[in-house]
Amino acid sequence: MTTYIEIALNSLVLGGVFLIVAIGLNIVYGLSRVMNLAHGSLYTLGAYFGFTLVASGVNFFMALILAPILVGVAGLMIERTVISLMRKRSMVYTLILTYGLMFFLDGLVRYIWGNETRFIELPGFMKRTISVAGVNYPVFRLIILFIIAAVMAGLMLLLGKTKTGITRRAASQIPEMVSCLGISMTWVHIGAFVLGCVLAGIAGVVAGPLFTVYPTMGHQMLLSSFVVIVIGGLGSLRGAVMAALLIGLVQNLAEFFITDLAMVIVYMMMAVILAIMPRGLLGEGRFE
Amino acid sequence: MMMENPASVFASEWPERVESTPADHPVGTKRLLTGCVFLLILGVLAAFPFMVPNRFYIRLVNEMMIYGLLAMSLDVLLGYTGLLTFMHNAYLGLGAYLAGLFLIHVSPSSLWLAFLAGILCTSLIALPVGWVQVRTGGLAFALLTLAFGMMFFTIAWKWYAMTGGDDGLMGVPHPDITLFGWVLGSSGRPLEMYLFTLFIVSICFLLTWRIMHSPFGAVLEAIRENEERAAFIGINVRRYKLMGWMFACILASISGVLFILFRGYIGPTTMTAFSGAVILMMVLLGGMGSLWGPMIGAGIFIYLQDYISTKTEHWELFLGLVVILLVVFMPRGVAGLTEFLRRPERESR
Repeated sequence: MTTYIEIALNSLVLGGVFLIVAIGLNIVYGLSRVMNLAHGSLYTLGAYFGFTLVASGVNFFMALILAPILVGVAGLMIERTVISLMRKRSMVYTLILTYGLMFFLDGLVRYIWGNETRFIELPGFMKRTISVAGVNYPVFRLIILFIIAAVMAGLMLLLGKTKTGITRRAASQIPEMVSCLGISMTWVHIGAFVLGCVLAGIAGVVAGPLFTVYPTMGHQMLLSSFVVIVIGGLGSLRGAVMAALLIGLVQNLAEFFITDLAMVIVYMMMAVILAIMPRGLLGEGRFE
Repeated sequence: MMMENPASVFASEWPERVESTPADHPVGTKRLLTGCVFLLILGVLAAFPFMVPNRFYIRLVNEMMIYGLLAMSLDVLLGYTGLLTFMHNAYLGLGAYLAGLFLIHVSPSSLWLAFLAGILCTSLIALPVGWVQVRTGGLAFALLTLAFGMMFFTIAWKWYAMTGGDDGLMGVPHPDITLFGWVLGSSGRPLEMYLFTLFIVSICFLLTWRIMHSPFGAVLEAIRENEERAAFIGINVRRYKLMGWMFACILASISGVLFILFRGYIGPTTMTAFSGAVILMMVLLGGMGSLWGPMIGAGIFIYLQDYISTKTEHWELFLGLVVILLVVFMPRGVAGLTEFLRRPERESR
């Protein structure tokens, strides 16, 4: 019984990290029709920024705020220099460009921080375990769950209640109409991209102590978040939440029972779901 | 491309086609000229190992040709059908692993049976994958190729008992190269393998050129230009996409079998996402939608890779940077450059 509770909690944590990365990707795509393949590398960048900040003596929670801001700045530079040039061209070029960007960022990370595996050092009280319903569970995983919930709540508030959020949602439906109302679509695009980068950065810092930090950590995360988006349906927030939890659970179960080929099971599941429901679970998504 | 009687071979039911591809001018002299250029290149490539008897360069050009074939097969999807696939190298890997396994476990000396095994088994795997993929649109298609490619990579990497895992498939025997009962020599020797590769690659090129300039190729181009219109005029888009996909995968598996015969070894690094980006870059460098462009792209790229990787270990950084610069400044590649140079002449005519 205790194993099952542990698996359930682990799935929640894993699914939560997937969710944050995938939602960032989803927001960028929904608002500016850019499928950013470098998103996983921005997540890696966030993890490395977090590592450097914590290693140089900054509090973990401060790093959790600072590192995403740094990633956001990096995202701003990327958006202004190359992504904005691709807006008028066909989707294929954007995909290839961001694919190149992914290798560039990975190479950069390897160049600056080297190839070794790193760990983000946690503050003392987070290293302890706590007893939850008879299970000894690490405190920091629970704190991560709490952080993810807070981020999601903040995101819901931002997109649902504020004027910026409402503009963004309108822009994802009919961009022409929104720009007719005198709202600059350029700023909407920039805002969306930076928001996506910040979310990737948060996920990166959170993932630092959860998994380890290494240069290609983003590849796996990119693929997982694609699976989440594709299964949940593109542009669907509720679908993404469901899919992230599902993938987290399936991956945890698969890792528990057949360690090595866990990801194969996940990809197979995605293929089956897509074959039956090409638009994802909720069927709201639009692929173009 | 075929020289003897071009008019009869190229008689096409569709007189009007999409402009801007070099070969669809119905002028006979032009066709003859392209044919002569092709023969010339073929002749130079065939004479190369005899003029430069350095084993290193022979193997380098051999590798260029194998990757050229793979890049061309990706061009069939990207340049003609408009389908983006990130992990086309997965099908090279599949062909190589399957042919290698056949050579190790079933019959160490039969070259053509290994070819058949590699191509057939890869097609059997690519068919259901393609069936799932063509049910989705452009973006989801691209993402699915990434997912399936990573799946094949994970299998090749983790299934230790079958594929040798991290170490790769080692000790693949080199069968003799036989052609209609005529024995050329062992595929392990550079010169023989070079000539054999040249033979297979040029046949594949001619075949692909012919198919892509037939009504079938025109349908693929129509799908690339506008999928909805293609569907309106009664084209079964999914079926044609699947056929294009299968054709590209079969070509990729041929390059895979050549790869295993050439190297005698295949490891999971050949199937990573990074190698996939490399292939994509070859196509981009050469120019999409021209078939010969990607081959040149592959040549340039392999040479650069060989040169730069001796100078620096941060090869990944350069690759990414070059891809970004290419997309921004030269999206039509080398083939686009020649078209640009030829334009004044075309206007004066």
